[in-house]
Amino acid sequence: MAEAREPVIQVKDLYKIYRVGDTRVRALNGVDFTIYKGEFCSIVGTSGSGKSTLLNMLAGLEKPTKGEIVIAGEHIENKTENQLVKFRREHIGFIFQSFNLMPTMTAVENVALPLTFQGMSKDVRLKKAAALLDLVGLKKYKSHRPTQMSGGQQQRVGVARALVVSPQIVFADEPTGNLDSNTSKEVMELMQKVVREQKQTLVMVTHDNHLAGFADRIFHIIDGKIVQIEENAEHKDAADIHG
Amino acid sequence: MRILDLLRMSSSSLWKRKFRTVLTVLGVVIGTASIVVMISLGLGLNRATMEQIEQSGGLTTIQVSEGRGGTISYSNGGMAIMSSGSSSSDDQVNRLDDAAVEMLKGLEYVESVVPILRVSAIGKYGPYECYLNIYGMPAEGLEQLNVKVGEGQLPMDSSELQFFYGNQVAADFYNPKTYDYPYYSTGEYAVDFMEDTVFIIFDQQAYYSSQYQSQNPGQDSGTSVQPPKKYIIPTAGVEKPNDENSWSSYGYRVLCNLDALKTTLKRVFRNKAIPGQPTTSSGKPYKDLYYNEVDVYVDDIDHVKEVQELIKSMGYEAYSNVEWVESTQQQYANIQAMLGGIGAVSLLVAAIGITNTMMMSIYERTKEIGVMKVLGCDMRNIQAMFLIEAAYIGFIGGVVGLGLSFGISAIINKAVAASGNMTNLSYIPVWLAGASVIFAVIIGMVAGFFPSRRAMKLSPLAAIRNE
Repeated sequence: MAEAREPVIQVKDLYKIYRVGDTRVRALNGVDFTIYKGEFCSIVGTSGSGKSTLLNMLAGLEKPTKGEIVIAGEHIENKTENQLVKFRREHIGFIFQSFNLMPTMTAVENVALPLTFQGMSKDVRLKKAAALLDLVGLKKYKSHRPTQMSGGQQQRVGVARALVVSPQIVFADEPTGNLDSNTSKEVMELMQKVVREQKQTLVMVTHDNHLAGFADRIFHIIDGKIVQIEENAEHKDAADIHG
Repeated sequence: MRILDLLRMSSSSLWKRKFRTVLTVLGVVIGTASIVVMISLGLGLNRATMEQIEQSGGLTTIQVSEGRGGTISYSNGGMAIMSSGSSSSDDQVNRLDDAAVEMLKGLEYVESVVPILRVSAIGKYGPYECYLNIYGMPAEGLEQLNVKVGEGQLPMDSSELQFFYGNQVAADFYNPKTYDYPYYSTGEYAVDFMEDTVFIIFDQQAYYSSQYQSQNPGQDSGTSVQPPKKYIIPTAGVEKPNDENSWSSYGYRVLCNLDALKTTLKRVFRNKAIPGQPTTSSGKPYKDLYYNEVDVYVDDIDHVKEVQELIKSMGYEAYSNVEWVESTQQQYANIQAMLGGIGAVSLLVAAIGITNTMMMSIYERTKEIGVMKVLGCDMRNIQAMFLIEAAYIGFIGGVVGLGLSFGISAIINKAVAASGNMTNLSYIPVWLAGASVIFAVIIGMVAGFFPSRRAMKLSPLAAIRNE
């Protein structure tokens, strides 16, 4: 089974060093790991552990000081900003902590936004977006604006928006950080379900050990180093059954 | 991204901040309107002047008069002109005779040549007399003047001398004893040329000498002077009187046929020097009569200057309206530039307003821009979005400003018309209307360029930060 697994993210010897005055802060201090296709991984750590920095670098929002990142077969550490934008447009979906929906747009328009950036025609992209809203259970909320929806509903729109481009990898940055625990559970279950159904790779960053437990593999990160990679056996089996 | 989507996103973000957009647009409206109105004033002035110039003698006429120096000889060639030197040519006067007229006729671009012979005479009617400026021209020259005939006809007949009086000549008759001008004191003309017989005295010197003698009989100057002969010249016609809006440049002139005038003058001044004509160094008249002026009509306004220079190089004085037109146009171009500059200042202020609004909008939307970048919006598209927003502001401001300009222009023209002026002071041609809108759009985009680059370069990390 291990041979059959196709690596989607490969990180080798990754360093990120910030200069704060005279002192050097090692946000990432030599990180190596591989994430395979169809996996749901969570990166867990306390505040300041470097987990957000790691996610930013995987999504090409920040440049590493040293090291290699290969995503979907492409080295992204040397890409220019324009190339990174193009790369994200084609390969990556992103779920934000504070949803970041466009306040002037309806739910379906928000979901269709990444397709707009791809230059897709209005009819096609709205159809696709509507289908994804159905998938996340917001059939009745298509023409609602973000202000007319609850936090949980808004994040469902966020999930739909991340998935609409059929990305190879979805990154989620504390996706339930702004939600109460009941809603958090719902959203997590939704993400879990959708990712499995669509056979997508999901990388989630969180500080909450309980939420991290929804993942197949859990990366524990402390002071810029991955100290433990925990296989979540229960979910692994479930993933195998589903897959 | 599709252009339609870009346009839609830009307009919706402007719409979202309606009040601020309106204020920014208002700045452009004022700026555009002030530039357009100022330039329209300059254009209106220019156009009014050109119309005036066109009315007074046209733009394609060159007035040639005798000159000194240079050479009129074609056969001499270039070197000969140079070697003719200053000492000999300075004394030489190039007079206008029939040969010169023929030569001018032969020049390129010249359509017709009208020689003019000017003499003065005294007209007498009852107790009144008048100083007459007589212009002799060939028949085709008279036709070209565009004189409005009131009564009778133009003096086309070359066999008999007939006079055609300008519409102000009759007003100039006065009583030499009382210095009373009947027209100015009573409003009635002293003479009606069509009905009354006016005596014409060509030899003014003899007339005034005899007048002097008759007034001072006691002083004997030795030889007595015979009063000159008086002539009766038939009237061919009179010019149409001026109405409120027209003014004739021939009003104070007496027109007649050139050949008839020549014949008459030769008869009147037999063996004597004709006043106004050159004489030899011994005071004897030349055999021929020389023209005082030759009008050269050129086919096109663009050739006037060239022909004028050529005539000058032949040693004649040449004058045309071209210099006047050029200096006037230069003057109005300066006025326009100054007025436009005043308008440009307000548009500059508007441009700074656009930049300011765009910068504020970008600071407010830092997160939104970050999110778009994370979701894969091309950097060029982000820049385009903001440039289009700025261009929209310029466009709306330009169009509304243009509408306002038409309104202001109409009000100005109405006010000018109410004060009794015929011409439109403010004039907005199509090109100015089009150019002003395009200019406003360009100003908007220039003003939005720096903010749009700023937006493009914003970090996508702004989207991740949680406030």
